[in-house]
Amino acid sequence: MSTISIAVVIINVILALLFSLGAAPILVWIERRVAGLIQDRLGPNRCHINGIRLGGLIQSFADMLKLVFKEDFKAKAIQESFFFSLAPVIVFASAFLSFMVMPFADDLIINGERFIMQGLPMDLGVLWFLALAGLSVYGIMLGGWSSRNKYSLLGAMRAGAQVISYEAAMGLSVVSVLITYGSIHLGDIVAYQGQLLFGFIPAWGIIIQPIAALIFIITAFAEANRTPFDLAEGESEIVGGFHTEYSAMRFGLFFVGEYVAMSASSALIVTLFLGGYHLPYLNTQTLQAYMPFILMVLIVALPLGSWSAMRWIQKHNRWHKANDIRNHESAFLQKGLIGLNVLVIAGVGALLVLGLSETSTNVATAVIQIATFALKLLFMNFVFVWVRWTLPRFRYDQLQTLGWKVLMPLAIANIFISAIIVVARGL
Amino acid sequence: MTDILFVLLSFFAIIGALGMVSLHQPVHSALSLILTIIALSGLFALLSASFLFMVQIIIYAGAILTLFIFIIMFLNVKEANLPKEPNKNLTLFLGSLALLPLNFLILRAFYKMPLLTAPLEHDFGKIKPLGMELFTKWLLPFELISILLLVALIGAVVFGRKDEA
Repeated sequence: MSTISIAVVIINVILALLFSLGAAPILVWIERRVAGLIQDRLGPNRCHINGIRLGGLIQSFADMLKLVFKEDFKAKAIQESFFFSLAPVIVFASAFLSFMVMPFADDLIINGERFIMQGLPMDLGVLWFLALAGLSVYGIMLGGWSSRNKYSLLGAMRAGAQVISYEAAMGLSVVSVLITYGSIHLGDIVAYQGQLLFGFIPAWGIIIQPIAALIFIITAFAEANRTPFDLAEGESEIVGGFHTEYSAMRFGLFFVGEYVAMSASSALIVTLFLGGYHLPYLNTQTLQAYMPFILMVLIVALPLGSWSAMRWIQKHNRWHKANDIRNHESAFLQKGLIGLNVLVIAGVGALLVLGLSETSTNVATAVIQIATFALKLLFMNFVFVWVRWTLPRFRYDQLQTLGWKVLMPLAIANIFISAIIVVARGL
Repeated sequence: MTDILFVLLSFFAIIGALGMVSLHQPVHSALSLILTIIALSGLFALLSASFLFMVQIIIYAGAILTLFIFIIMFLNVKEANLPKEPNKNLTLFLGSLALLPLNFLILRAFYKMPLLTAPLEHDFGKIKPLGMELFTKWLLPFELISILLLVALIGAVVFGRKDEA
């Protein structure tokens, strides 16, 4: 192993950490602020560090700190304390591991060495995700069972039944997608989506497999136990469901695990159906061919964007009392934006002046693709939150009817049609 | 490295199997079985059978054992409802003695197998060659097994449903 390959592996693992675990506070923040937006209120925005609030983002960090330092309470009736402690770990670990096969960028080539840009460089792809989604339900079921509480047990039962039924539809919808792409390796799948359909439409999964995309997104909501499928913790019926008896960091692991699972599901949806790390019309080869132009556009666009952001901050984030602590935030944000601009322009300008070598083109491509992936991931997470605060919860029988009588036959019909089309095109 | 992994995985597989047979609570038995299955899938991965490795986890650990545990938890077995197991150790011992001839047979078959010395192709055990093999050379047995499974499934539904429904 050369130094470069070790560095790339470490960067990949850190990126996977950032996108899954690091995304959790941001997702909690998005959840609360979007909930506020949808319910016509503000949501948390008061928590601050020396005046810096970042629109309420600091609240999530304060929440995490609270969960860590809370008393770790365990009811006396709980006898299976090993399984009681193991359950949140299973949920968290399987959610976290399932993120590890998501490709953030196209295979990076440095000095002739090829690196797969994933947390774990392997080509099991979709199968790995399905396996860990299946394992995560043990955490919920064990947690509910070992709590020795009727509400918890009911929540665990609901979660178990729900995940088993929706896993079938999810697996079948993935099969039709795999027939189209002809590979289970997520890197190949994204490379396929870099093509153009009829010469002008990006061949994203949501365009060539719309039914599979719909089924997969619905089942992903169910697998992540989020509204409209959050029967496992329906608080108006069964208190907190499977995590009623949990407190402090054990609850925290369930809580963070839910967001990590949501992020992993979003990453898979982005990878399978939204073109993964590709910008529309710019697949890796085009991106590399036009790299100098794209960097120039970046140099022009970034200061313009920052300038309008600074205008907005000066207009809306200002308090008339000069010594108001909240004025620190505006100054901090503006300084941060200017610093970012100076750094990016200096870096990109140096690249352009010194001339792009092959390696620096590849690295710049990877950086742009990682940023694209992150943006798409955030958008998909936003859709998760949006749906949660818009739709009411399903009743249990409606849930099972939808899963078995609607999604499952639809998925099977879709496999049939996709297979016919693929075979007919191959003739 | 591979040897250490092999020893660890086999250790967990055997521990899980022992726990499955000897533990009193049904939930504990089912959980031990999960341990065995996951350890076995790890052994598949060591043999570079990556597809089997994933399928073992998806089907056995992810679906079948979830159903087992679901049913066991659903029945909510109380400590008093569990059968008393007098002479449990003796029964286990006699049972393992009765299995010895079978073990002997399997070991004999194992040592009779030809030793594979040629290096594996790079796509050995991956989903593509396995699918090609399954759907060309072994198509008929594959379809027959699928029909058998379907028949079993329909049979379960027929037996399980209420008369008036």
